[in-house]
Amino acid sequence: MNPHAGRPLFFLLIVLLSACSEPAVEQIAVTVPENVTVPPDMAYIPAGNFIMGSPKDGRTPGGKTVRLPAYLIDRHETTRRQYHAFKADYTYSPKKANYPASHVTYHDADAYCRFRGKRLPTEAEWEKAARGTDGRKWPWRIFFQHPNNGFSGFIPEPVDKRDGWVSPYGVYGMGYNVWEWVADWYDYDGMPAERRKKFKVIRGGLTQTHLSVGASPTWFRNYMEPDKRFNFIGLRCAMDAGKTELK
Amino acid sequence: MNRLFRQFSVNRRRFLGFTALTLSGALAFLFKGKAFGTVDFRKNDNIPKNYIQNRDTPGFFIRSANPFPGVDIERWSLRVGGLVEHPATLTYEDLFHFKRVSQESRLKCVECWSAKAHWEGFPLAALIEKVRPRPAARYVYLQSADSYYESYTLDELLKPRVLLVFRMNGQALSPEHGFPLRLIAPFKYGYKNIKYITRIDFTDSRKQNYWARFGPYSVDGTIQPGIDHPLDFNKKPLPINGGEVFHFFDKRPT
Repeated sequence: MNPHAGRPLFFLLIVLLSACSEPAVEQIAVTVPENVTVPPDMAYIPAGNFIMGSPKDGRTPGGKTVRLPAYLIDRHETTRRQYHAFKADYTYSPKKANYPASHVTYHDADAYCRFRGKRLPTEAEWEKAARGTDGRKWPWRIFFQHPNNGFSGFIPEPVDKRDGWVSPYGVYGMGYNVWEWVADWYDYDGMPAERRKKFKVIRGGLTQTHLSVGASPTWFRNYMEPDKRFNFIGLRCAMDAGKTELK
Repeated sequence: MNRLFRQFSVNRRRFLGFTALTLSGALAFLFKGKAFGTVDFRKNDNIPKNYIQNRDTPGFFIRSANPFPGVDIERWSLRVGGLVEHPATLTYEDLFHFKRVSQESRLKCVECWSAKAHWEGFPLAALIEKVRPRPAARYVYLQSADSYYESYTLDELLKPRVLLVFRMNGQALSPEHGFPLRLIAPFKYGYKNIKYITRIDFTDSRKQNYWARFGPYSVDGTIQPGIDHPLDFNKKPLPINGGEVFHFFDKRPT
């Protein structure tokens, strides 16, 4: 008997096990109304309730139910190539054309979305697109350790790199890669009056402490002065459902 | 015969291995804490007392990549060159001729802690006015007296609150804090805030920095969102949003 006869089967098993290490995220079945056109790079989020915030964080809505009308949101973060089309002096390496645009202020991000015939998502729209309707902590439901854990610093990556890390609506980058400007001010119940309307909310990037790098939960609110630009902040756009005047 | 030879060769291998192990053990005992030709500075006991490697300065931790005795100010100068119209060599006294700017800002170490100080110095723009970088100069490479080096984009160093500093908390910089000249870039981790600067070169391409070469730290070094352990708050963990660190008890610049 050939002692190596079992090897192909063994390797096949290893390949299958590897493929199963990050199970596909179960997608919410969505019916798009006939009068709504959904561009291929956007996701349609139907009207309805979702759970916003977490009772663990007093600076969030605390896990209350919020109802939103239907809307569209970009499946991916805005890329450097896309942003360059809006702002010609925004330079990037051709090798990294598909990486997220960064070093943009809130006002830059807002202007870019308007240029595209869209708008920045509200914070509620961003969160619903990330966590669906079951109040999950991670868009992809179960915790994944980030592969850059053990490094200090931000390493951006292509906006469509991680098929396994999508939301239940098929949206990428909700909790990793860059943080994203959203339309809301960073205010919360009990916030001192003098600090209100000074910071804009940024959502869905990586948190880092020394050598630990991790995704941020769907309900996590970060903030930044609207005129600041950093390598870890980018954007994505949204629009009302039914609006079709894209540019 | 062959069998005998093979047996002997195995025994010889074992004998040589045993001898090597014994000798290396003996040498390791004799030269405990030292590597051949160099001293292992990872152990505090091996650092000469007159060298700068104080890890317990009140209010701040000191981390020197390469412990050294400090700068002899009689021999110190700052050379500014590279892609500039007017290369310059400055003495310590020359630093006082720039219009002085002061600020309170926090130094945030990549190893979790942060500490606040009052810094006095001058912005890079003042130096630029003197040496006139050429249009191709897009990066800045800084070198220090303790064999450290850092690199920045020119744009980063021209941001508000980035200073070349020669005074701290109302006094000249102490040897531990980088006398006579250091950089303070509050939105970058401490390792980007190079001390004991001796040379600044304007370049057209990015040069590597010290810690990106030797440690798991990015060249960019922008402070990321996460948790800080401020030394003026008993190291109690507090969230930070990324960029320059301001805690709820810090006054933000207006």
